[in-house]
Amino acid sequence: MNLIFRRSAPKILICIVVLVVVTLAFLSNRLFHNLTNAVEQNQFDLMRTIARSSLKAAEDRAMARTEMVGNLPSVRDLFARRDRERLLAECGPMFEIQKTKYGVDQMQFHLPTAVSFLRLHAPAQHGDDLSKFRPMVVAVNADRVARKGMVIARTGPAIFGVVPMVDLAGEHAGSLDVGMDFNPILDGLKATYQLELALFIAEEPLRRFATGLPGEVLTEENRRGKFIKFHSTHWALMKDLATEADVMNVADDGFTRKLRGITYGVLVLPLRDPAGEPLGLLAVAKDFSASRAASGRSLVWQSLLALFAIVVLAVAIIVVLRGFLLRPMQVITERFASLAGGDRSRPIEQPETLCQEMRDLAATYERLRISDEKER
Amino acid sequence: MATSAMRFIQVTLLAAVFVTLPAVTGFSEPAPSLPLAGGLPVIVRTGLRFEQIAAIDENDGSCTATVDLRLRWTDARLAYPKEDGSAFQSFKDAAAEARLAAMWTPKVELANTIGSPAFRATSLRIYPDGRVESMQRTSTKFTTTFDPQRFPFDQQKLAAEVTVRGEDQDRVALDYHQDDLVFSEANSSQDLDRWEVGLTNIRREPLPGLYGALHSRLWVELQIRRRFTMAMAPIFIPLFASLLIPLMAIYMNRVEDGEFQIEAFELSNIVIGGLFAVIALNFTVNSAYPMLGDADNTVTRLFGLNYLVLGVAAALIITLFRFNLVQRACGKYVQEQLYLSLVWAGPLLVLATAVALLLVAMA
Repeated sequence: MNLIFRRSAPKILICIVVLVVVTLAFLSNRLFHNLTNAVEQNQFDLMRTIARSSLKAAEDRAMARTEMVGNLPSVRDLFARRDRERLLAECGPMFEIQKTKYGVDQMQFHLPTAVSFLRLHAPAQHGDDLSKFRPMVVAVNADRVARKGMVIARTGPAIFGVVPMVDLAGEHAGSLDVGMDFNPILDGLKATYQLELALFIAEEPLRRFATGLPGEVLTEENRRGKFIKFHSTHWALMKDLATEADVMNVADDGFTRKLRGITYGVLVLPLRDPAGEPLGLLAVAKDFSASRAASGRSLVWQSLLALFAIVVLAVAIIVVLRGFLLRPMQVITERFASLAGGDRSRPIEQPETLCQEMRDLAATYERLRISDEKER
Repeated sequence: MATSAMRFIQVTLLAAVFVTLPAVTGFSEPAPSLPLAGGLPVIVRTGLRFEQIAAIDENDGSCTATVDLRLRWTDARLAYPKEDGSAFQSFKDAAAEARLAAMWTPKVELANTIGSPAFRATSLRIYPDGRVESMQRTSTKFTTTFDPQRFPFDQQKLAAEVTVRGEDQDRVALDYHQDDLVFSEANSSQDLDRWEVGLTNIRREPLPGLYGALHSRLWVELQIRRRFTMAMAPIFIPLFASLLIPLMAIYMNRVEDGEFQIEAFELSNIVIGGLFAVIALNFTVNSAYPMLGDADNTVTRLFGLNYLVLGVAAALIITLFRFNLVQRACGKYVQEQLYLSLVWAGPLLVLATAVALLLVAMA
C-alpha cells in the first residue's frame, strides 16, 4: 500500500466532511424548497377557489335578478300580452341602472319558441331565432326549469340566469334572461385580491354567435391560438404571462413565470357552458416574488453556511492532524536522521508543547542524543 | 308727491341692499350638486400617465415628472342636442377652468405632490350624452418611497396618489378599467439616467377621513428598475477592494519553522490604514446616497463585513502574531498550520460571504 499519510489522511477526512455537509445542505434545501412549493400550491388553490366562487356568485346574482324581474306581475302581464313598447317602458330605466351600476350587460325576453321578443340592451333588435346558439333558452322553454351559466350571446360572452315566465293565469309565456358582464367581475377580483386576470373566449363560437361584438375585440393582437382575449385587468402584463403556448396547453396545477424581475404564479382555468362544451379560458396571475425571493435567499444562505462548515472542519482537520501529529513527526524524523548521520547538535525545541505521544518520542530522541554524546 | 318720493327711496334702498348683500356676506351661487341621475356613488373613471420623468431623487425621496390626469364621469344635466356635427364640446385652459367652475366637478387632487406645480394646463370635453372628460397636465415634484433593501438590483415604484376630497367613497368613487390602464402606460423608451421604465399599475386604497369615513383613492404606480451596472463601479468595486486590505495584512506575514517573521506592528499598520479607508468610503457613500445609510441593504451589509474582517484581522495579529497565544497553548507547529490554513480559508470565506450578500439582493 503506497499511501502517504501526511497527504492522504487530510484529503480523505476532508472529502468525507464535504460529502456529509453537501448532502445535509442539499436535503435541507430540498425541505425548504418543498415548503415553498406547498405555499405556492396553496396560493394556486386559493386563486382557483376565488375565481370559481366569484363566477358562481355572479351566476347566482344573475339568477336572482332574473327571478325578481320575471316574477313582477306587471312584467308578466305585459310580456304575456306581447306589448313590447310598454314592456320596454316598464323595464328600460331599471335595466339602465342595473347596467350602469351593477354590471348587468344584457336582459332579454324570449318567446316559447326561443325567438327574441325584446332585448332591453338593444331594443331595436328582436324577432331573431335564438335556438341555434342559445340552447339554455331552448331548454328552459322546453322543461320550464330555470338555468344559469356562462354563454356566448349576440353581444358577447356573459354569465346568464334564465327563468321561465308565466302569465297572470299561470300559463307558460316564454322566458327571461339576465346576463352579467365579465368585466366588472374580473375588475372586482383584482381590486379585492390583487389578482391579474385575462378572459379568453374560443374564437370560433365567438365569431359565430357574438355577431353584435365590437370590431376591436376580434383583432390579431387579441388572438392567442384558437382563443380571443375578451377582457383583461392588465393586458400589458397578462399578454406575456398567458402566451399562446400557455392557453393552448392548459396545465391544471398552474405554473410560474419570471417577468421583468418578478415571478408570477399563473393559473389557467377552462370555462365551460352549461352543456359542458368548452367556452374559453380564464387566466389568473398573482405576484409570487415574496415566496420566490425567500426561497432564493434560503438557497444562498444555506450554501454559504455549508461552505463555512466545510472550510472550518477542513481547517480543524488540517491543524489537528498536521499541527499535533505530522509536522512534529516530520521534525523528529529529521532529527533522528541527523543523529544517524552523526550530528548530535540538534535538540528538539519546546518538547513540552508537543502532544504526549510525540513528547515520548522526543524524549527517546533526547536520551539517545545525550547518551551518544557521553559515550564519545 | 312726498309719498311717491319716499316710495322711490325705499325701492332704491331695497335694490341697493339686494345688490350689496352678496358682496358683504360672501353669498354666492351654490356649488353645483352631484350628478345623481345614475345614483350614488358617482363613478369617476381615472387614468394617469407619467408623460415625462425629469428627475428621480432617491435621497430626497422624490421624482419630478409631468403627468396627465384624465377623469371621466357622466352628468346627464350637461347633455345637449347634437346639432353642429361635432363629436363634443371642447374647452381649453382658461375656458376649461371657467366651464369647470360652472358645473359639478369631482374634487380630485394629486395628494403626494411637493410644493406648487411648475406647470398646469387643463382641457375639458363634454359629449352630447352628458359624458365629461377632463384632462389635466401637471409638472410637479412627487414624494416617492424608495426601498433600498435590494440595492442595486432593486425595483421601485414611482407613485401618484389620486384622492377625492370633500366627498366620501359612498358618494364619489374613483375607478378604472382596462382602457384607463392603457392610457396610464408610460412611454417605455423614456431616457432615465439609471432606470428602466416598466409597467404601470393602478391600486385602490381608500383614504381614512373624519368620523370613520373613507375617501376614494387610487395609487398609480409606474415600475422602474435600476440599471445595476451604474452602481457597480462607484460603490461595489471599492467595497470589494477594501475587503482585500485585512486579508493582505494576514497574507503578508510568513512563517519559518513555526515562527512568524514579520513584526505585528507593521501588519497592524495595514489594518489601521484599512480601517480609515473603509471609514472614508463609508462617509463618501453615505454622502452620495444617504438613503443607503438609513436602512438594511447590500451596501450596509458589505460595510459591516468590511468592519468585521478588519476586526478579525486585528484580533489575529494580536493573538497570533504579537502574543503567539496559539503557540503557547498548542505548540509552534499547530500555530504554523493554523496560519497556513488561514491564508487560504480567510479569503475564501470572506469573498464567498460578499458574493452571497450580492446574490441575496438579486434573489
